[in-house]
Amino acid sequence: MSNDFQFIEVGRKDPTKHAAAKRATQFIEIYQPFAQPQVSEQADRCLDCGNPYCEWKCPLHNYIPNWLKLAQQGRILEAAELVHETNTLPEICGRVCPQDRLCEGACTLNDEFGAVTIGNVEKYITDTAIAQGWRPDMSKVTARSERVAIIGAGPAGLGCADILARNGVKTVVYDKNPQIGGLLTYGIPAFKLDKSVMATRREVLEGMGIDFKLNVTVGQDIGFDALLEQYDAVFLGMGTYTAMQAGLDNEDAQGVYQALPYLIGNTHHIMGTESTESPYLSLEGKKVVVLGGGDTAMDCVRTAVRQGAKEVICAYRRDEENMPGSRREVQNAREEGVQFLFNRQPTSIKIEAGVVTGIECIETQLGEPDDSGRRRPQPIEGSEQLIDADAIIIAFGFQPSPAKWFADYDIELDQWGRVVAPKVADNPFQTSNPKVFAGGDMVRGSDLVVTAIAEGRDAALGILNSFEG
Amino acid sequence: MSLATCIGREQNLFNETMGHAYRVMFDSPVLLFSDFNQLLALDSTYYRANTVDLNYDLAEGLETAIKRVCDEAERLARTGTTLLILSDRATSKNKQVIPAAMAVGAVQRVLVDQSLRCDTNIIVETASARDPHHFAVLLGFGATAIYPYLAYESISALSLKHGVTETQKLMLNFRQGIDKGLRKIMSKMGISTVGSYRCSQQFEAIGLSTDVVELCFKGVISRIEGANFDLLEKDQQVLQKLAFQKHQPLPQGGLLKYVEGGEYHCFNPDVVNTLQACLRDKDYPTYKRFTQLVDDRTIATLRDLFVVKGDKDAITIDQVEGADTLYPRFDSAAMSIGALSPEAHEALAVAMNRLGGRSNSGEGGEDPSRFNSVRNSAIKQIASGRFGVTAHYLVNAEVLQIKVAQGAKPGEGGQLPGDKVSVEIAALRNARPGVTLISPPPHHDIYSIEDLAQLIFDLKQINPKALISVKLVSEPGVGTIATGVAKAYADMITISGYDGGTGASPITSVKYAGSPWELGLAEVHQSLVANGLRHKIRLQVDGGLKTGADVIKAALLGAESFGFGTVPMIALGCKYLRICHLNNCATGVATQNKQLRDNHYHGLPERVMTYFEFMAQEIREYMAALGVSEFEQLVGRSDWLSALEGVTEKQQQLDLSAILFKPDIPAGCALTWQETNPTSDQGELNQTIIAAAKEAVEQGETFKACFNINNTDRSVGAGLSGHIATTVGLQGAKAPVNLRFNGSAGQSFGVWNAPGLNMELCGDANDYVGKGMSGGKLTVYPPLGSMFQSERSVILGNTCLYGASGGKLFAAGKAGERFAVRNSGAIAVVEGLGDNGCEYMTGGIVVVLGKTGVNFGAGMTGGFAYVFDRFGHFNRRVNTEMVDTHKVSSPIQQQHLKGLIEEHLNETGSEHAKMLLNDFENWIDCFVLIKPKNVALNDLLRLEQSQPELSVVAG
Repeated sequence: MSNDFQFIEVGRKDPTKHAAAKRATQFIEIYQPFAQPQVSEQADRCLDCGNPYCEWKCPLHNYIPNWLKLAQQGRILEAAELVHETNTLPEICGRVCPQDRLCEGACTLNDEFGAVTIGNVEKYITDTAIAQGWRPDMSKVTARSERVAIIGAGPAGLGCADILARNGVKTVVYDKNPQIGGLLTYGIPAFKLDKSVMATRREVLEGMGIDFKLNVTVGQDIGFDALLEQYDAVFLGMGTYTAMQAGLDNEDAQGVYQALPYLIGNTHHIMGTESTESPYLSLEGKKVVVLGGGDTAMDCVRTAVRQGAKEVICAYRRDEENMPGSRREVQNAREEGVQFLFNRQPTSIKIEAGVVTGIECIETQLGEPDDSGRRRPQPIEGSEQLIDADAIIIAFGFQPSPAKWFADYDIELDQWGRVVAPKVADNPFQTSNPKVFAGGDMVRGSDLVVTAIAEGRDAALGILNSFEG
Repeated sequence: MSLATCIGREQNLFNETMGHAYRVMFDSPVLLFSDFNQLLALDSTYYRANTVDLNYDLAEGLETAIKRVCDEAERLARTGTTLLILSDRATSKNKQVIPAAMAVGAVQRVLVDQSLRCDTNIIVETASARDPHHFAVLLGFGATAIYPYLAYESISALSLKHGVTETQKLMLNFRQGIDKGLRKIMSKMGISTVGSYRCSQQFEAIGLSTDVVELCFKGVISRIEGANFDLLEKDQQVLQKLAFQKHQPLPQGGLLKYVEGGEYHCFNPDVVNTLQACLRDKDYPTYKRFTQLVDDRTIATLRDLFVVKGDKDAITIDQVEGADTLYPRFDSAAMSIGALSPEAHEALAVAMNRLGGRSNSGEGGEDPSRFNSVRNSAIKQIASGRFGVTAHYLVNAEVLQIKVAQGAKPGEGGQLPGDKVSVEIAALRNARPGVTLISPPPHHDIYSIEDLAQLIFDLKQINPKALISVKLVSEPGVGTIATGVAKAYADMITISGYDGGTGASPITSVKYAGSPWELGLAEVHQSLVANGLRHKIRLQVDGGLKTGADVIKAALLGAESFGFGTVPMIALGCKYLRICHLNNCATGVATQNKQLRDNHYHGLPERVMTYFEFMAQEIREYMAALGVSEFEQLVGRSDWLSALEGVTEKQQQLDLSAILFKPDIPAGCALTWQETNPTSDQGELNQTIIAAAKEAVEQGETFKACFNINNTDRSVGAGLSGHIATTVGLQGAKAPVNLRFNGSAGQSFGVWNAPGLNMELCGDANDYVGKGMSGGKLTVYPPLGSMFQSERSVILGNTCLYGASGGKLFAAGKAGERFAVRNSGAIAVVEGLGDNGCEYMTGGIVVVLGKTGVNFGAGMTGGFAYVFDRFGHFNRRVNTEMVDTHKVSSPIQQQHLKGLIEEHLNETGSEHAKMLLNDFENWIDCFVLIKPKNVALNDLLRLEQSQPELSVVAG
């Protein structure tokens, strides 16, 4: 039985984390899994609001109160079924979503009682059900004649494939990497998302009849025209990979690195593979300064800690309040020994003989809000200071990286290089080439995993709609 | 109430034949699998069953298919079919389904027209019925019984999934739930047997075209046209297509709670969050974003289909009347203390008082410490439960509102779950903590418009300064009712639309009862104007009003005052959680939980004020654009509204011209409220009494006088009670005021009687003696030397002591029906009663020294009664659902009873009382004690003799 006053009587309890010392050396997921009694206790805190703000805020509009109730009652398989109705990768969202900015941040209880531990329950439901042998029920699906190719096995591509498969469309996913997941696998460090999770998900997806053609780069190993010929539609979910430049002097000096190649190289290293584009880089014994305040910056600082860096500093130009990343990740990084320098804007990189020695920063104060509502940092005259560093990692975000061949197939881009594929249209996410659809970061610019999944799924509905003619 | 359903051919009642025996009886019109099978297996000589398939080919078309079904039904009925089974069971991928309600309605009409209906029974075997409303619609349009096979199959599938083995019990539970829902629905319409409800068409069709109504729902009211057969068929096609896409999961719904992509909810998270943000930051641009979210929503209400277009040039905003003169047009809608936390309730009052608007107490009484302060609710509500309605409460109001019904749940009273009846709330309502308080559906003193006129007169006598408002719900015919209300001398009428209702309102009512205020407001305004009564009535509207545009549109349709319920609550922190009935409101607004109220309620009156300030500003902007400097000029200008074409095909079929009709104004009338509406009866005797006793009351001296009374003297004593309550207050007259009357009293003798006022009547009295009395003493006895036996003669009319909360009544004679209904504290001795005595009683003591009528003690949760049961028949007359009966065996109780009879004898000189006392030891065995089951016998006297504590925390 549920208790109407559980939210008062029982506080929010996150699952236990591994000790910081253990975390500082190992690439293991830091949160230990919930057990059913904790799940029941925590899920029962949900008020089941008339306006489920969690569901409203979630880009996937997950039926959160409904599966919290099922989880509370221990009806895990039903919960898993419901979780998968709106989400392709719930166990991943449960691990990597910035819940404190989305569902848990919007939770009615968040302000005064502590939000319901939505993310961890989601993770528990999915992991437990899959471990118990739960698989999507495909028995009622009748096969359709159409075939769709998906380029990119990241969250958008997988989201699209999931919906198509559930509607009986033969779906083939192409990816240049040896494992599916895109940035989920290669960009997100293992201490947030264990690499076995994606491997398990791959089995589930393959069990649904989705075909993965990995280590295949479209445009090199297979031509796009061949795809257009073989398939009834093609979905592009290729992400954004061009790193934002800091625009500082000596940015190409030895010891200055971009965040994504650094993270990808590290993951390949852990998985025992090798990437020519992103070679492994160890920062052991180094004094590392990471520039930026998003989740990628947090991934970098925490990876550096685990690699055995001597000292890790995160420098960010606004204050802590205005950081774009998840608060939880900042907290975790701090526990692991990362130092934060807020209100520091880098002005130049100092080098000696082509090798980095430090970074000069100027202190800032926050001025008027800009169009997005965030307050602009303004430098304070005369407050320059030098931070010594052996390595500088730039984590300023990503820009679109459209393939050169897009133009050959009439796939229109906007002024920032994003593929034009509007969500609100007769066939959502259709590009200017009617046979080609696109979604995720390459359409909206770099954003959250969960938004990419949502767009991939919506694009699948667009594709299905286009088949109806 | 009864749902007993008889199936079989009906025959001439006056003709005694065997044929009458061929009928079978079910407890419920909802058939189980076994019921249905049994029915089909009955002897076909008398119960021939034939099935008419409700599936058809798309090529045939819905309308033709329905006509074909009707023809077939007629043919079968003529050839001897008794059980006409309309079934959609044989559905398949390439068939379409006729909606069961349409088929039933059409077949019913044909059978009635052909005089065949009594020969046949319409049994519906359908997948489409699952909630009580679905069943009610089928029954209301003619179904005899319904077999909801898909509901059962769903239950069976779910039980398999959950590993529950008692499937049969689950199905019985489902049926029990539906039965309960049906009873509730029937009770809202005042119908007690399903036989009366069947074919009664207690519905309004909103959004159906004339041809659909003519064929399928003939006789039902339909005012704005709407969907035709083609559009309904398209809907069915969509459903049909989905039904056969087995791989698609079932949709999550969204009807009751917000679900993205589901039903549009007017208070969705965006709206609530933006509203709270603009009030928190006091930011007008954010407020405009809120109004944009509301005004530009996908069309969700009738007003969304109207656009405002004036014919004047715009003026500058400085030329528009100030916000200060707009605020008096704004009221907060009735929400009781009890439903709201005391803090939230007070904050609303403070906000409205500071602003110059008015807050509404709701029906739960109010802590007297709030009177005469900024925390006082200017509007005091009188609802069917009469909780906390005392003389003192009534005189501390600017407006007295009689809640005839509530838009969100017409036909139902307020319902406060036991968890929310805290000690404080119980004290305010003279009830017991923890006991659920359900206000009865009707006012027990209003059965006709004359009764309402009497109640209005009662209120005007006790508080001559107050405006009397009557709250009605938007429903077809409300215009006629409103005209009657105006003629009954009300000053204000509130038309309440179907939006609104807190999370404690029953879901079926929120979703299926009531109608949009646009329809009701237009009808009332038009009929008041046409009848030359509009200038005497201040017309208010409430129900889901949110923005300046809502107010402007309502004004153009005839409203000059506006009630706001949900928005002020959201301003106080409510996040629209819809859990108000659970007492666990996390924002502390709708809970009595101490911890939540103390630590998590952060409502500020300023936020509420900011909302009204912003809205007034927005209204003034609209007025400037319309070239109107005085709000008054907007009221009733429906010619400034025009209907949009609508976005969907269904919307395009609507005809809203009836709403926009502008009636001619008769001479001497106006489009707006111009004057008060004083009663023609001046209450002369009351004036005489006040004039005589005034000084003594004010000086705190005793007073004695004698008057002759006539049955045209109504509400006698109310004027003086009002004067006592106003000048002295809650405790009543400091020294006894004794009035003696000779003659036959008119209605409402001693109504709202205040403490300290003792009235003695030698003669007899009409209805409503001591109604709402909170103290003092009323004594009625026949003139000396009357020949009749008092215990066999009626001395009081009906509905005496209704809603009384204190005082004493002694009457040497019988009282009428509904004696001491909702009594919460008065002590009474009478010598006999009519039916329904002591119904819903929550406190007080009633002694009946003679026969009672039936249904005694129904819904009684407090107080107790002694009944003299000379012939041992009382057990047939008591309703033992909530009460049990005992012998008066304990010496203390015997002594107590004896004391009361002695007092009665002293007061009235009753021969009957004397006879009982003379041989009390013998007669005591004939007395029965009736008490609520939830109170222990030994606690009765203690509970009734302790004073309720009035200690609500003042915020």
